[in-house]
Amino acid sequence: MTDDSGGGGAWGCVPGRLGELLDLVDEAVVICDRVDGPVRGFNRAAADLFPRLRRGRPVSMSAAAPLARAAARRAERFSASYEGHGLTGRLHTAGGLTVWLVHQVSSAQEAEAALAHEREKSAFLEETTRRLGASLHHGRTVRALVEIVIPKLADAAMVVLPVSGRRTRWHRAGPGDARRSGEVSVETLERVPKVADALYGLQPRPTVVRPRELAAALEDVMPGEFGQGGQGGQGRQDGEGGAGGQGGPGGQGEDALVVQLAAGGVPAGALIMLRGPERARFDDTDIELAHRFAIRAGLALATAALYSQQAHTIAVLQASMAPEPLPSADGLRLGAAYRPAAEALRISGDFYHVAPSAAGGVTFFFGDVSGKGAEAAVVAGQVRQSMRTLAMVRTEPEPLRDLRLLNDLVISAGHRFTTLVTGAARPCDDGSVRVEIASGGHLSPLVLRDDGKVTEIVCEGMLLGAVPDPSFGRTECRLEPGELMLLYSDGVTEARGGASGREIYGEERLVDALASCGGMQAPSVAERLELLTTEWLAGRPHDDISLLTLQAPPRRGAPPHRPPESRGGSGGARKSENP
Amino acid sequence: MSGTGMSGTGISDTVRADFDACLAGPDEDGALELATGLVTGGVNAEDVLLGLVAPAQVRVGERWESGEWTVAQEHAATHVSRLAVDAIASAARTGGTARTPAGADPLRHVLVACSDGEWHVLPSHILTEVLRLRGFEVRSLGGSVSPHELLSDVHQNGPDVVALSCTLSWNLPLAHRQIETCRCAGVPVMTGGPGFGPEGTWAYALGADLYAADARGAAEALLHRWPPVTCGESSVQAAAVEAYAALVRQRPELLAHVTHALHDVLPGLRSRSGMAHEEAADFLGRLLDSLAAAVFVADDRVFTGHLAFAATYLSARSVHPRCLLVLTDALTDHLRASPRALTALAAGHRYLTEQAADSRPGE
Repeated sequence: MTDDSGGGGAWGCVPGRLGELLDLVDEAVVICDRVDGPVRGFNRAAADLFPRLRRGRPVSMSAAAPLARAAARRAERFSASYEGHGLTGRLHTAGGLTVWLVHQVSSAQEAEAALAHEREKSAFLEETTRRLGASLHHGRTVRALVEIVIPKLADAAMVVLPVSGRRTRWHRAGPGDARRSGEVSVETLERVPKVADALYGLQPRPTVVRPRELAAALEDVMPGEFGQGGQGGQGRQDGEGGAGGQGGPGGQGEDALVVQLAAGGVPAGALIMLRGPERARFDDTDIELAHRFAIRAGLALATAALYSQQAHTIAVLQASMAPEPLPSADGLRLGAAYRPAAEALRISGDFYHVAPSAAGGVTFFFGDVSGKGAEAAVVAGQVRQSMRTLAMVRTEPEPLRDLRLLNDLVISAGHRFTTLVTGAARPCDDGSVRVEIASGGHLSPLVLRDDGKVTEIVCEGMLLGAVPDPSFGRTECRLEPGELMLLYSDGVTEARGGASGREIYGEERLVDALASCGGMQAPSVAERLELLTTEWLAGRPHDDISLLTLQAPPRRGAPPHRPPESRGGSGGARKSENP
Repeated sequence: MSGTGMSGTGISDTVRADFDACLAGPDEDGALELATGLVTGGVNAEDVLLGLVAPAQVRVGERWESGEWTVAQEHAATHVSRLAVDAIASAARTGGTARTPAGADPLRHVLVACSDGEWHVLPSHILTEVLRLRGFEVRSLGGSVSPHELLSDVHQNGPDVVALSCTLSWNLPLAHRQIETCRCAGVPVMTGGPGFGPEGTWAYALGADLYAADARGAAEALLHRWPPVTCGESSVQAAAVEAYAALVRQRPELLAHVTHALHDVLPGLRSRSGMAHEEAADFLGRLLDSLAAAVFVADDRVFTGHLAFAATYLSARSVHPRCLLVLTDALTDHLRASPRALTALAAGHRYLTEQAADSRPGE
């Protein structure tokens, strides 16, 4: 039955006896005029397999369903289950005739194939769980979702997200263009009831739709080559009318499956999967697999949607709680470092704020609420906001009154204390900077002097929120050009680490570290001290760490500062200063 | 600009020398004026970043390594470089020498981070600006990013790719955790920086999906194939991880042991040498971390590479590099039960004796 081209068989007998010879073949052989034409002949194996097959009549669903189905979708191969047998078939043309060769799969082969198939399915589902379960970002989850089903289940896939307002978003992956996304109106969506149902959670089982129907309503959402009858843009027009849509071979062989994505009844989206004409249509096994996929995908999508909403809320709160960028001020250099204990959340009980002052220079405050995490951050936010409000209503700075008001506020907020340093830094004509501070129980600021020595600015004061009528200290100091003041939170000095992992960083080390920063600019001093603390911690958990540096800029042309000979020496470099 | 030593980018040797002088100052205003002047004068911003700032910063590192500069001077200079990067980028944006984004997709999100423990922020800073100038949407997390912070940002902002920068090889085990974090979240990882070894060997060993030698290479690799895909696979062996973990657990006692050994060979460490106590502890800690990293990626070059740096560093501080041999031998004595550590130490010993033999005739 092959062509007589080279390499084929050689026949020496008359064609009339060919039928008898074909009866010896194990495969079922069915010969027709055309794919959909009348049957010309078939061998014994074919008669056993399809007893209702008759010469002169076309292959029908009742006579030989697998052949009829394959013919209808113009497939050249099929693999089907028929009356308890596994069948594989191939279509050939020989001598102007159409020939089906159908092979019956043995039960051992069948079992093996079923096992391999089952393994493939679990591997696919496992991969789904792995890829989707790992992502909590909604956009990424959606992108991964449409990509995973290709090519296992579909040639192209779209996800339409739940409706919010009058429009909703969709994402697509498919052949050619890697990723697309866009918006579609709810009205348009509702023109395809099965998609709308899946989106509203009313379509628990995957359901087959005609690609044409989809293309008619969702032409922007569909990939260009689908649902158009393979004739470029033309199919779109005749699909529009709905009724006229059945004409021509358009959409034949193409197939679409709409799958609802939901978690516990809460809709998370609708997945539309498309198959091209070269591919078999969605059969029961595919639909079952799609269903199992949808359960996993729906859960992942719903989780990611929830996480994204919460993450957005947190991001907004974080932004409101995070320190604002430092302003730039003439005659003054500023630097800061901020490393919250809750590194993943970036919120902290430490707070600082620096604002340009109308009188020149800046006003600033720096503090540390007891505890860490969200609870401390909320109190810190209240204090920060109150300080800013006070700054707006004051015509003259009144730091001690501010501290007393803040004390009342912290007491009324309950259960937490806070330390607070508030002050102003004003550049003078000679290039020095005059710093005034008032303190409520905060660690004394350190000053790096021009000679490389570190001094402590003592300013006694009580913690805010502890007693109703506390006393606060007030002091001032002058920074000569190049000199720098450091405000820090106890997360720096109480960092536990070092060689043993248990030793605290301590004030002495901090003083030494600061002493080694001569000649550095305020921002890099803050960063260097953060680096040293973090290295000391070596990845161990820590408290909130914040540093703020204020510096009088060095005189231009001044020689770079050289630290004294006893570089990084013992704590001897430090002396107390109490103006 | 004088015509001498132009390298096709419009940056002359004179300009380079001037910029170096500004960093040495440190002279912020001078550096910014010079760098932005180039951009407004028509030199491509990317060329200024990669042809002027990046090489100048390498020289800054060398001047610290050779003992010419103190840590403070190095940091002061680095700060000026950083301001220069910002100024160059903003000059390019306002001046219009920024390249228009290639491709139609406007949303190409890149998250730039330094590996955990990595404080060399400038390379990631330059990468951030180069990518932005090429039209990418970039978030930058800065220095020493913990896996928690990285994961949280990945989930919140869903970048298409994470770009991880590592300058020092002893951070490789920590970089591995970050790469794994990204892989689990399904985000591809691009790597860069000398810490990942020659041609990014160790980056691929850790499971990175891409490696780029510099910021321009990174931008081009991303533009060439967008979106990047996860394809890397970690080849770190379980036994290597165990051996690494054992070294980390033993770190305090090993540190005490090598400190002791160092004091034996240099009895007057504090008073005589140019190295202070804390600095010595830091130095010894890095030696141990490099050994641990070599064991982790199962490549002796991580350790010998660090020894090469250590020799230069010590000579510059009037400590004879022979003490490195004493230290590796002390570790060898102490780590008899760890075959993987011994392999790296043996390679270290060989390297040091070869170096000593090479340098002897010249002494």
